Amino acid sequence: METPRPMLEADGLTKRYEDGNLALDHVSFDVYPGQVYAMLGGNGAGKTTAINLFLNFIEPTDGEARVDGIATHKEPLKAKEKLAYVSENVMLYPNFTALQNLDFFARLGGNTKYSKDDYRQVLLRVGLEEEAHNRRLKGYSKGMRQKCGIAISILKNAPAILLDEPTSGLDPKAAVEFIRLLESLREEGKAILMSTHDIFRAKEVADVVGIMNEGNLVMQRSREELVGEDLEKLYVEYMTGYMDEVA
Amino acid sequence: MFRLLVEKELREIIGTTKFAVTFGVCSVLILLAFYVGARNFQVSQAEYEAARAENIKQMEGLTDWGRIDHRIFLPPQPLTTLVSGISNDIGRTTEMQTQGELRSENSRFNEDPIFAVFRFLDLEFIFSIVMSLFAILFAYDAINGEKERGTLRLSFANPVPRATYILSKLVGAFLALGVPLLIPILIGCVMLPLMGIPMTGSAWGRLAMVVLAGYLYLGVFLTLSVFVSALTEKSSNSFLLLLVIWIFAVLIIPRTAVLISGRAVDVPSIDKVNYDKNRYMAQLWLEDREKMQNYSRENPPSQDGDMQAWMDDFRAFMSELSDVRNEKMSDFGGRLNEERRNRELVQQRLALGIARLSPTSVFSLASTDLSGTSLDLKERYIEAANRYQETYAQFIREKTGSAGGFMFTMRGGQDEEEPPPIDPYELPVFEYEEPSSTTLINDSLFDLGLLVLFNIVFFAGAFVAFLRYDVR
Repeated sequence: METPRPMLEADGLTKRYEDGNLALDHVSFDVYPGQVYAMLGGNGAGKTTAINLFLNFIEPTDGEARVDGIATHKEPLKAKEKLAYVSENVMLYPNFTALQNLDFFARLGGNTKYSKDDYRQVLLRVGLEEEAHNRRLKGYSKGMRQKCGIAISILKNAPAILLDEPTSGLDPKAAVEFIRLLESLREEGKAILMSTHDIFRAKEVADVVGIMNEGNLVMQRSREELVGEDLEKLYVEYMTGYMDEVA
Repeated sequence: MFRLLVEKELREIIGTTKFAVTFGVCSVLILLAFYVGARNFQVSQAEYEAARAENIKQMEGLTDWGRIDHRIFLPPQPLTTLVSGISNDIGRTTEMQTQGELRSENSRFNEDPIFAVFRFLDLEFIFSIVMSLFAILFAYDAINGEKERGTLRLSFANPVPRATYILSKLVGAFLALGVPLLIPILIGCVMLPLMGIPMTGSAWGRLAMVVLAGYLYLGVFLTLSVFVSALTEKSSNSFLLLLVIWIFAVLIIPRTAVLISGRAVDVPSIDKVNYDKNRYMAQLWLEDREKMQNYSRENPPSQDGDMQAWMDDFRAFMSELSDVRNEKMSDFGGRLNEERRNRELVQQRLALGIARLSPTSVFSLASTDLSGTSLDLKERYIEAANRYQETYAQFIREKTGSAGGFMFTMRGGQDEEEPPPIDPYELPVFEYEEPSSTTLINDSLFDLGLLVLFNIVFFAGAFVAFLRYDVR
């Protein structure tokens, strides 16, 4: 059987900022279609830097981030066609309604065939009630905006999805709904790279968990490898162990 | 993609309360400017007609062309009502003489000083002050505001070329501000003929050019705002920086330019020039008085001779003296005037050169050039008056046999028949003609070009800054 090609590839990905700070140090991992990869780590571990490199918001100092085999810093526009993105704190256009925001970002992503009904269906799918669809976003809560952001990423229908702390700020019910949504997206064959602090959610949904610390990928385990393991304990061990090693 | 981004920009701007308020204020101001301008024109036209009628009336009944007190007036021009320029500062009335230097007086501000304090609300004021502020208000956060809102990250997670994005930002903001403003401007244009303003084809064309210059000026502040927004991280910083730039551009640079040039180039005052002329005139009079005394001594009227023949000789002698004196005075005065004018030109050139660092000054110069109310208006009026002076002197010469200066008449006894009254309508009519549209447009081309250049430079700045902008 032919081995599937990874949709997202970090290949020796390194980023050193102009002030000398090494944010990412030769990090390599793959995310395959139909797989959820959870990057765990504290603040400044390099999770968001990795996502920024996939989005070509910054250029790598060394190595490559590839989307479906396309190096993002070489062909950023082509790579972005295959990417959807949800940020930690989704902030859309406050004077637009949810439908208007969805319409704009869907068309920006190259999808011009959607109707209002399609937008409504997706908003309902992410759990946004119908009465809110025509309201301006300036009256939305953080959770509602987050749902809009997820709806936008679904509408893009991209094979790869990047999620930067997607459950941050969501109430427990919304977080559960979000996990169900991720599972359905995985079933659709999407490759999902998610950065998170939430060990519990990561364990629940991730096919692969990577722990990052100070720009290094210090542990990577598949769901199978994690069976029977206490991820929280592992997380603390790897973090402190790495710190001891560095010391 | 470009169209989508422009549409988004339009919708984002037009959908705000800020836009509704701004549009309302601008519309009211523009319509007010047209209305007040048209009313001012009507008043000025009525005053002009009344002054001309009064000028003729006060000559009626006079019997001697040598005793008339004739004045000419600068007629109001339709476009001065929309871009007043220096039209309110210069004298509109000139007392006509057959020779000597002409001076204009009775400026609008001289008659109504209150207007000099607060100036008029005209189209130039609205564009240069109000529109530039509104441009800043709408574009100061064009880039960094999107970043602060988080929408820049989300937009650039899509395959959006940066060049398309920045161009759409500018075009969107320009259309969102510019197109709605055309509505009150067009309504204002309809008001002009309805209020009896005699707009010629040339005036319409130049008004369109003034509006075009206004839009270029608006573009300067929009591109500048986007540029600054792409250079700064926080929208509060870009707003403050733009306000400082606005204050310099609108208030400080134009005034400083005049101050610097005034210090750098010394121009003798009119009073000093007049003092020198008067001194020279007095000196010439002294010399002529001696010649007159000598003439009387050498050619006394004989008791039994022909008195009329002596008077004729004396008049001829005096006329010759007067002609020579006037010629000398004219040469001397002309030289002083030319020296002063040359220094004034150097001073003006320096002032305008410095002032052109500010797009506001450039717009003012372009719009006043197009409206015929630039610094040249005074020169053109004086030139037209000087040309008329020659016609007038010729007319008076034909009527009196003398071109003025020294008038020596002898009346007969009571039984002599009273000469018939003069007909003031015989006077040649003074007509001030504005330069052709081609001339005025050519005069404005340099400044229009500068406005285009400002747009290009700031757009290039915004473009380059955004290519390097950290969208995270």
